[in-house]
Parts: sequence; C-alpha cells; structure tokens
Amino acid sequence: MNRSLAITLNALGLYGVAFVLAAAFAAQLSLGELPCPLCLLQRIQFALLAIGPILNVRYGPHPSHYACSLLAAAAGAAFAMRQILLHIMPGDPGYGSALLGYHYYSWAFIGFAVAIVLIAGMLLFDRQFEADGGAKPVEAGAFARIAVWLVIALTALNVLATLAECGFGACADNPVEYELLKRLK
Amino acid sequence: MYTTVDSLGGVTTMEFTALFLAITVVMFVAWKGTRTLALALFGAVLLASVATYLHHATDVLKLSF
Repeated sequence: MNRSLAITLNALGLYGVAFVLAAAFAAQLSLGELPCPLCLLQRIQFALLAIGPILNVRYGPHPSHYACSLLAAAAGAAFAMRQILLHIMPGDPGYGSALLGYHYYSWAFIGFAVAIVLIAGMLLFDRQFEADGGAKPVEAGAFARIAVWLVIALTALNVLATLAECGFGACADNPVEYELLKRLK
Repeated sequence: MYTTVDSLGGVTTMEFTALFLAITVVMFVAWKGTRTLALALFGAVLLASVATYLHHATDVLKLSF
C-alpha cells in the first residue's frame, strides 16, 4: 500500500466517523431520545478517533497518528462495554431504543472494535511510511478535504447540541428535555 | 433509568460541552496548525475524557428495572 492509497483510506475512515456522528444525531432528533453522559462519552471517543486520520491526511501516514486513533478506540470500547455491563442482567430493557436488535452502546462497542481491527490492518503496510518528508504537510485532494471539514462540522454541532441538552450545569443522568431550551422558554 | 450522585459537586459543570469544544479545537489545530501541538492537545483531551469517565464510573449508581 503506497502513501496515496493510505491517505485515501484514511479519508474513507473520516467519512465513517462522520456517518456515525450523523447517525447519532439523526436518532437523537427523530426519536427525541437525548444521549446520557455515558452515551456522550462514546460520541466524544468517536470524535477523538478522527484526529489520527486528520493528521494522516494533513501530514501523511505516521505510526503515531494511528496510535492516537487506537488509544481513542480502546477507551471508547471500554466506555461502551461499561454501559453494556450495566444492562447485562436478564429482564433489563436497556437504555434507549434498540436499532436492528442492538442498543446504541452495543453498536458503539462493535464500531470501536471494528476500528481497532481496521487500524491494526492499516499498520501492517510499511510502504505507506516510506519517504514521509519529515512530517511536512501534504496536499490533500477534495475527497479528503471534504471528509475533514465534515467531521469538524459534525463535532462542532455536537458542542451546540450538548450545550442545548445540558445547559450551563452538569448533564442530567437520564435527560428527557433540552435544559438550555427549557431555561429560555 | 440512571440515578447518580455527583461526588465532586459542581466541579464537572459543562464537562461534555467543554470536551466536544476541545476536540473541535484539536481537529482544527491538526488540520491548520502544527503536528506537535495537535498531538499534545490530543493527549490532554484523551486524558480529560478518561478522567470524566472515571468520575462517572465511581458515582453511586442505582438502576431501576
């Protein structure tokens, strides 16, 4: 795998993260279900997962960039597993709605596990790290640039959504309404 | 569903909004700023997110079924 293909695959990874963040937003808005603190932490880890690919697109592939994403994915998987275990007892309906038979935190765990496997797979290909130019910025194509700005925009939207949900205080453990909007009424 | 007791009082106010904002800034630095600064900020935000998780993980938690 050469450097150019690796950058394209990293851009595809950014579209994957953008899809996850957008799907979470769509579920939140269409079902009216607000994310709990643990759910927000999992979204945060998905957003952190994107920083490695952004660095790879900007400066070319480096093992340290992949390591950043691996750390974020490992933390995210741990957070999702924590929430799965909170609802592991028989008869527990789980938190929120299920999508295709799995709750969002189960899907999040699957997503982080898939990310870990894919990143490990990317690290198998040494040629992408040759002639890295000393970590100088590289010229990214439109496909990659759009992916980067899409992820940045969706993360910025999460700032506003979380502010609306939690207001200027601590987030509710079981949120049922937008705290900031309630105050403004 | 979840009932927790905030053991740190108001220390954790707006923690999630702040984390999303911090990640947005790190992304922007990774894209437009320097690589070293982006990596350092990434490490700081990752640690902050883990600290936030640990804070919530040690809350008193009562589940209702």
